[in-house]
Amino acid sequence: MSEHILSAHDLDVNEGQIPREDWFEASTTLQNLRKNKRFPTIWCSGCGIGVVMGSLIRAIESLGLENDQVALVAGIGCTARMPVYMDYNTLHTTHGRALAFATGLKIARPGMKVITIMGDGDALAIGGNHFIHAARRNIGITALVVNNSIYGMTGGQYSPTTPLDMRATTAPYGNVEPPFPICDLAAAAGATYVARSTVYHVLELDKFLAQAISNEGFSLVEAVSYCHTTFGRINKLGAAADMMRALKENSISKSAYDRLSGGERESNTKIVRGVLHTKDRPEYTKVYDTLVDRVHAEAIKPRNAGGN
Amino acid sequence: MTEVSSAIKPTPATTVRKGPRGEVRIFATWCKGCHICVEFCPTNVLAMHPNGNHPIVAAAEKCTACHFCDTHCPDLAISVKKIE
Repeated sequence: MSEHILSAHDLDVNEGQIPREDWFEASTTLQNLRKNKRFPTIWCSGCGIGVVMGSLIRAIESLGLENDQVALVAGIGCTARMPVYMDYNTLHTTHGRALAFATGLKIARPGMKVITIMGDGDALAIGGNHFIHAARRNIGITALVVNNSIYGMTGGQYSPTTPLDMRATTAPYGNVEPPFPICDLAAAAGATYVARSTVYHVLELDKFLAQAISNEGFSLVEAVSYCHTTFGRINKLGAAADMMRALKENSISKSAYDRLSGGERESNTKIVRGVLHTKDRPEYTKVYDTLVDRVHAEAIKPRNAGGN
Repeated sequence: MTEVSSAIKPTPATTVRKGPRGEVRIFATWCKGCHICVEFCPTNVLAMHPNGNHPIVAAAEKCTACHFCDTHCPDLAISVKKIE
């Protein structure tokens, strides 16, 4: 932190990093942050993950949920540092296993709103197995996948969502592997709510997150973000503000995409924003409860209590 | 998260403008200086501090409470309050 800011406001270093409690009263978003944490956050200057954090707080607040009704589960990575700063029930788990821990939590506490916060590598590479199986079971978890196309925290290795021909530190001549379409994968695996938005269209993201949390089954929200520190630097895409402007220019809403002709859809390279898939399917914990009830009802009849 | 008073004096408003107004507060100790708020502000309310790495409110009367800066701030270092 700059010395001139501290001296101008008569603060010592400790006060600048762990702010006083009354500073959080400026907005309702700030009141849902953990007040004993060191601020600013650990993310790079201008990183979109902070925008998604504000969006998630506003979405939970718009549903009128108590802080104790919500559980945030995260794995490892830049994105997975998000619950550390938020004042809900939080669980910081092993790499890629956020959905596995969340499945256990949801079965133990079916009334709780369980939200898993994962990066693209966390959700699709290390935890890809858990991702498709959580979608297949249709368990009532909201999966928020922040897609920044790269492994940011470990130094810019290419991830399962790095676009073709883009460079990364482990793909210095361009990536040759086609990326995973996250939303199509979740829809095909059986998710009942799939939506995608970007960090530029953050008010739309608030709306989708609120819909996803109130959806009963497995819901996926892909928040397209950017990594200007590694991905942007290697591919010469500019600073944080430039990459955010690129998200605005390179995205198209679902309604506009539906109006395109077949040929234009084939050649479309823009990010499609909107609710991409919804479906009605029974939710896993409900199905499991009916199974338990049925088995209990059968068990009352003693099978070996005597011939009569 | 301390408020920074504006270093540039507000320009006198010549005409009374219609529509909602906003009051911007910047918490400079949380800011990392990414310029997103300054680059995207549609009415140029914000400017960078001449000596520091954080924005200041350069033209407070121009704010229309569009909430772009406080929803897009990655460090939650801006809050905008709508005033009548």
